[in-house]
Amino acid sequence: MSNESTSELVVKSAPHITGTMSKNRLMQYTFVALLAITIVTAILWWPVMCPTDAQISSLTLTNIWQLPLGAIVLINALVAIGVAVGIDALFYKVVSDSELNTWSSAVFGLIVTLSFSLGIPSMANATDVMPIDTLTAPMAFVYVALISLIGLVLFKKMQGIAGRKFVNPAAAAKFLVLIPFIGSVFLTPDHFAAYDPATGTGLGVPHLAGPLGGGSAAIGTNGAASFLTYLQSCFANPAATNTPDLNSLMILEKFHGWTGGACSIAVIIAGIALFVVARKYVKWKITLAYFASIAVMSLIFATAYADTDLTTRLLFEIFIGSSIFLGFFMATDPATTPLTNIGQIIFGVGLGILTILIQTYMNFFGGALLALLIMNLTVPLLDRVGIHKPFGR
Amino acid sequence: MTNLVEIKEHKDKARMTPIEVFPDPKTALVLTYQHTGATNTPLVSVGDTVVIGQKIADSKERVSAPVHSPISGKVVKIGDIYNSCYAECSEAIWIENDGKKTKDKTLTPISESELSTTSNDVLLKRIREAGIIGLGGAGFPTSVKLSVPKDKPIKNLIVNAAEGEPYDTADERLMIEKTENLVRGVRVIRKILGNPKVIVATKISKVEAALKLQEAFGKEPDTEVVIKHLTYQQGDASVLQKAILKYETPPGKRSYEMGTIVQNVATINAIANAVYDGEPLISRVTTLNGDVPEPKNLLVKIGTPISNILTQYNIDTNDIRQVIVGGVMMGNAIQTIEAPVTKRTSSLIVLSKSKYKPDQPTTPCIHCSKCISSCPVRLHPILIYNAIMKGDIAKAEKLWVKDCIACGTCSYVCPSRLPLSGIICASRH
Repeated sequence: MSNESTSELVVKSAPHITGTMSKNRLMQYTFVALLAITIVTAILWWPVMCPTDAQISSLTLTNIWQLPLGAIVLINALVAIGVAVGIDALFYKVVSDSELNTWSSAVFGLIVTLSFSLGIPSMANATDVMPIDTLTAPMAFVYVALISLIGLVLFKKMQGIAGRKFVNPAAAAKFLVLIPFIGSVFLTPDHFAAYDPATGTGLGVPHLAGPLGGGSAAIGTNGAASFLTYLQSCFANPAATNTPDLNSLMILEKFHGWTGGACSIAVIIAGIALFVVARKYVKWKITLAYFASIAVMSLIFATAYADTDLTTRLLFEIFIGSSIFLGFFMATDPATTPLTNIGQIIFGVGLGILTILIQTYMNFFGGALLALLIMNLTVPLLDRVGIHKPFGR
Repeated sequence: MTNLVEIKEHKDKARMTPIEVFPDPKTALVLTYQHTGATNTPLVSVGDTVVIGQKIADSKERVSAPVHSPISGKVVKIGDIYNSCYAECSEAIWIENDGKKTKDKTLTPISESELSTTSNDVLLKRIREAGIIGLGGAGFPTSVKLSVPKDKPIKNLIVNAAEGEPYDTADERLMIEKTENLVRGVRVIRKILGNPKVIVATKISKVEAALKLQEAFGKEPDTEVVIKHLTYQQGDASVLQKAILKYETPPGKRSYEMGTIVQNVATINAIANAVYDGEPLISRVTTLNGDVPEPKNLLVKIGTPISNILTQYNIDTNDIRQVIVGGVMMGNAIQTIEAPVTKRTSSLIVLSKSKYKPDQPTTPCIHCSKCISSCPVRLHPILIYNAIMKGDIAKAEKLWVKDCIACGTCSYVCPSRLPLSGIICASRH
């Protein structure tokens, strides 16, 4: 009896029980949180046709489908998840030692979807430099598929082979695919000027490196009459006639920009719910440090540039779709963020400062994306700081 | 800074189960080396007749503790058998029971009234000759631990009644059933240490035990019973000391240097038996739990083959996947159920094949940093693990790998199921 049962006993090192949290479960929780944001956005955006009937008649649009904006979100999600999960499965079949990461790929697909900008704002005009076709169907589907593909192959699988992910795959892929547009929209100077119908130049984008006006106050030398007007023409429902106030725009509903940032309050609720459910497995210190540093920087800049009030800049910087979504769901990506507490706090603060600097001085609204990529690259260094001494030493 | 991780106790039924005396084995297998320190050599040879409590192996080294025969009978074999204290085979003495129950009378009982007039040297010698070692798991010879230099006064004696390991309830039953014996044992230790303040620390979840301790120790002078929420990790002596006294003992320093001694309840019970009853450490209480029909707390003779216990309680040995000795978090999964119970066998946790659910496989680290935030001694498990896997032992040492208390929390929390604790502990050998 002894010999038989002896050989059968499983001998492994302690501990002999494990906790309930696994990588897959963590991914499932994250997926549910992201899915909730996707659904809220789709519902919020469903009544808006993109482009609106008015935009179809006023803008010269070619090869554009008119669909409910909410439908575009859902199709984007299906495309991005489909591509990511499909390619992951393909790798699993073809590459011998590749593991199947279905949940991780699905989360990646949703992050691609939610970090993608959609919606033609009312400020858009026919000849401006804004690449309108990337903001709506059908080109949005193509770009999302491309970002999902490049992100999964180049930044998830290839970095995985390198043994360490250096940059956030979704952010890096989006940046790579959209860099021509980012360059044309944000890095050319003429978009500060008021729109000139004759030449078709100028976007009337306000320069953040100057005083911002709340209410109807004029803003310095900027193109738009007031910053609020700019925000309204940028984020308000292009089909609606009423003009929403700053708070409801930034916190409740935006109809242009990052899909995941359409409803800031939904992101905050989903983000906090994930922190609670996946307790202590999410690097919440980064989120906290990020928004704290954005708030402090905004207040400093608002004071330095003598804004008419302190809250306009603050609300813009915190609740712009890129910041609010990235702060909760991309800046906390475990693989590309620091391990130590102090490292995480430095990471969050650095991300906030860089975001503000990029948005203010490069006029790259959505600069959090670039800031994240830069901060990701510092992680191997940040992992060396904050090594604390053990018990009793 | 550290978040102490809650680990489910799995003790509900076992803690309500009274201690049962397990029948003496027909053949006892007494390992000669069960403590931490110098190895023992046998004092008997094959063919010798031994009696209950007779010393059968010892060492001349200071850091050692003898072992005794748990039964009366004949030495039939001296050879190697699996030793669950070290997860490897080591020397053991096979004794065949003659059923006569003849007792060795070398250790004479010291009555309670004699205690105050008995010298510390006599008491320490008694503890050593009774073979008492730390029964909480460490296995360090108790007489050595209590031999505190005169220039290091002890201010606090912490009675570790926290029993953190999930499933284990042997200590808890001792607290309930042998409360008076624990009080008597603490008096011996107080006498040796020069009357330090006594703090009995137990968990709020051990309701019955906590009440018993409070009642019994409440009458003792300069004694406090602390009943609070304690996590699994706070069952470790140094972490418990932090929870109670709010200071940390530097690693490498003996705890007496900071004026505190932490003593586990099972050890205190053994001290009381040795001093007042003249009984050496030949039996202990062990919990049988896990995938078993009924959990048990057994007073079992040291040297009893584990297979005896499993068959006694109708556990299908063909369905056993693992038997874990000494707790699911820190104990060893034994290679053979023929291995005997040792002084350090605080529990036997059976995990069956039929109830086994395959866990997810090990995957690469996702950098969640959970192992770092949950290490009770504030190490960086993943960084140490990475250094070891790269063969960079110097780096692992710079990250204080030697300070690891082997609690297993890092492996427990790891969502990628990396064997962090296993690799870190293995690297220290």
